[in-house]
Amino acid sequence: MTGSGTTAVGEGTLKGGGAPPSRAPSKPLRSPWTAVIAVAVLLIALFPVLSDDLYYQNMIILAMVFAVGAVGLNIITGYAGYISLGQGAFIGLGAYTVGICVSDIGGSPWVWVPVAGLLAGLVAAFLGLVAMRARGHAFVILTIAFLFLMQLLATNWDELTNGTGGITLPIPTWSVEYQYWPFYYTLMGLLAVSLLVSWWIRRNKFGMGLIAIREDEDKAATVGVSTPTYKILAFVASAVFVGMAGGVYGYYISFIDPLGMFNILLSVQIILSLLLGGRDTLWGPVLGAFIIEWLNETSNNEFQGGNARLLIFGGLLVLVVIFLPRGIIPTANRWIEWWRTRGKAGLAGERLTGIDLHARATPVREAPEPSGRPLLEVKGLEKRFGGVHAVDGASFTVAEGSITALIGPNGSGKTTVFNLIGGTMAPQAGEVWFDGRRIDGKPPWQRAHLGLGRTFQITRLFREMTVLENVVAPLQGFHLGLLNANAVSGREAKRAEELLEFVGMRKYRDVPAAALSYGQQKLVELAQILMLDPKLIMLDEPAGGINPTLIDRIGEMIRELNAQGKTFLIVEHNMPFVLGLCNPVLVLARGRTIATGTPDEIQRDPDVLDAYLGEDFRLEQPVGT
Amino acid sequence: MTEFLQALILGLLIGGVYALLASGLTLIFGVMNVINIAHGAFLILAAFVTWSLWRAVGIDPLAAIILLTPLMFAFGWLIYNATVRPIRKAPAAASVLLTFGLALLLEGIMGVIWGNTSHSVRPEYFTESFQIGELFLPKGQVYGGLVAIVVLASLYLVLTRSWLGRAIRASAVNPQGAELVGVNAASVAALTFAIGVASAGAGGAIASVLYPFLPGSHYQWIARLLGIIVLGGMGSLPGAVIGALCLGVAELMTVTYIGPEWATGVPYVFVFIVLLLRPQGILGTRLRQDVATT
Repeated sequence: MTGSGTTAVGEGTLKGGGAPPSRAPSKPLRSPWTAVIAVAVLLIALFPVLSDDLYYQNMIILAMVFAVGAVGLNIITGYAGYISLGQGAFIGLGAYTVGICVSDIGGSPWVWVPVAGLLAGLVAAFLGLVAMRARGHAFVILTIAFLFLMQLLATNWDELTNGTGGITLPIPTWSVEYQYWPFYYTLMGLLAVSLLVSWWIRRNKFGMGLIAIREDEDKAATVGVSTPTYKILAFVASAVFVGMAGGVYGYYISFIDPLGMFNILLSVQIILSLLLGGRDTLWGPVLGAFIIEWLNETSNNEFQGGNARLLIFGGLLVLVVIFLPRGIIPTANRWIEWWRTRGKAGLAGERLTGIDLHARATPVREAPEPSGRPLLEVKGLEKRFGGVHAVDGASFTVAEGSITALIGPNGSGKTTVFNLIGGTMAPQAGEVWFDGRRIDGKPPWQRAHLGLGRTFQITRLFREMTVLENVVAPLQGFHLGLLNANAVSGREAKRAEELLEFVGMRKYRDVPAAALSYGQQKLVELAQILMLDPKLIMLDEPAGGINPTLIDRIGEMIRELNAQGKTFLIVEHNMPFVLGLCNPVLVLARGRTIATGTPDEIQRDPDVLDAYLGEDFRLEQPVGT
Repeated sequence: MTEFLQALILGLLIGGVYALLASGLTLIFGVMNVINIAHGAFLILAAFVTWSLWRAVGIDPLAAIILLTPLMFAFGWLIYNATVRPIRKAPAAASVLLTFGLALLLEGIMGVIWGNTSHSVRPEYFTESFQIGELFLPKGQVYGGLVAIVVLASLYLVLTRSWLGRAIRASAVNPQGAELVGVNAASVAALTFAIGVASAGAGGAIASVLYPFLPGSHYQWIARLLGIIVLGGMGSLPGAVIGALCLGVAELMTVTYIGPEWATGVPYVFVFIVLLLRPQGILGTRLRQDVATT
């Protein structure tokens, strides 16, 4: 397994064709919007100079505070898919930081604004650490607990926060001529930087990893995304500028108290800004924030706030979730898209025609002869779910260069063994050795980096990504510089297209994965893990639930990849497929390996016939590898 | 020692009330994977209705349970069909936001009807106590705790002995499977939600005697109940009971030995500790997820 790491599958086809144009991961900014956004930004930038209306200056300032909060929230909620009800707490945290520093240490509030950002970032990192193992709902609860805990601390920690009495900040010292300009333009700057960071994240590997986490976190880990690192960095990125904006906001309103600063309504308004404008868009949170601030003013002026605010924002939240779940910008984009493409047939609707495998490129280099040394070694693996011994002392080896099958009755623990090898689950006992290293303590992404690729029994693609993005998503390693790399570089796109060509799915590169049929998803998932350039490919029921033609094609692909040096471990119930393709065959029953041998031997093994194949099993086709 | 014993017994009694309230929340989560953030608002609503009944007609708050439970059941059923049902197939995050919106709406409505001032229900026995040796046990808390245990026990009977109970538990374990064997998952979900809200109704009537309340109190309650189900293991009924008793005792110990102003912080600390050390909670299990199709 030496030489160039990239076993160029089917490279020949594209040689001379030039790299296909790389494509941005999504199009948050579409042409009809560019002009609108440019005009809006210009108007807001010039507003204080053109008009001396303090009422509207105040409104825009508050809208920008919401906007910074919502743009930050978009990073964890829109990109990474984690809902936070505690985003408002970072505004309070920032305001308190500035308030406490000014009253206890002194100096200008402006000096302390960056400190507020730093502290918000640190707290967010801590939250990310706590949330490392918490998914979905548990995370929501954590953010609620965080918000209320902050409020409690601000109320009860009198020496530091002056409790419910609150903190009063000094009155600005600049000339009244400048009105609120310093607040206004500082917040505008913060908003611009937040947007820049949000845009930067979304177009890079960092954002790609976050989207993968949103779509399927466990799967993301198995294709090499080190999920905790991504999550913690995302939390920090979502909080730093919000903390700074909170500091400016505290100075602006000049009075800070626990109820005002850690009010859950603030979080609600930030969430609403994001939902209304559109998650996973660049400008959606900003648009939403301006709408929400306008509503906020209206409810205060027309209905005297209080209960009316609760009814308006509570009602709006319910309505948006039910009737406008995607938000304004994505919905509008859909309408525009529909208008543009009406009357045209979609590619996803076409019938998948068979491709001639042999017309494609031949492998670039021949693989070394199978060495026969064990690539994967499993020793005494055990996994219990409550009282059920799913895996009960399974031991086996997979020789380098082999196509090994793992068969056994339903419930014999095959998929659990896969999960234990891939790292999606931790065994209670036993060892897993891969390529001379013990890996059972390593997280899934590190196993992927070492060269372990797996597919799932029920395909698990990142549904909202396109086929190409799915194939490009896997990562062969992790370093900080990677976060700054383009989401889809030209080189990667080229390689991904080659892999898609290999599995016969190139035509579908720009189709969302969710639109593919089950069999097509299986092919794309294969291409996806090939992107990892794995030494060992573990396939969980590659022939399950797909038509016979496709089964033959998958068999051919496996042989071809094997000829190039890839080792396979395959779980499958289709006996003709297994016995015709694999050698050796391992048989698992009741969580234990009960037999190992060539297909011939396995078919005659009385234990196997008894446990799995059945007495009357006779394979009709001749057997051979 | 007396002080400790007193805190322990009162903690367990109040834990019984928490157990009833948390059971409804964890049941809803277990069956439909929805965190009902409005649970606290439902219970405060029940407390307000109890207060009105007590004020206007003089009905004992604990006797009001008989009236409130079916009333809140019907209310829960209506709310489910009007708001939660349309987003059944939406991602899980949608339901959190939706029920959060419902909580705000309910808070606003209660503020309009009853005003944003502190209320409390005080039947005659409110100021009386049982005295056992050196222990003083307020009658309100003793009665409240006992009634909660009775209601909770009947909830368990419904869940374990009736067809509906079996359908609910089947839906919790495997919704598709339950549908295949003739359980109408949508109506079971509606009934489960209604039962959850009904339990908040019963618990709210009891809670109205134990703590003063105003519309905004629901945040504190939902935080407390979420802390309980995270501790016990989300979706686990026995876990909710254990978590509730732990929280009840921990709160009373905090009041006795640290200071009443910090008692509200106990559930938040629970959440942080549990998620750091054992994210699945005391009785939660981690199952294989790769074959789940939902």
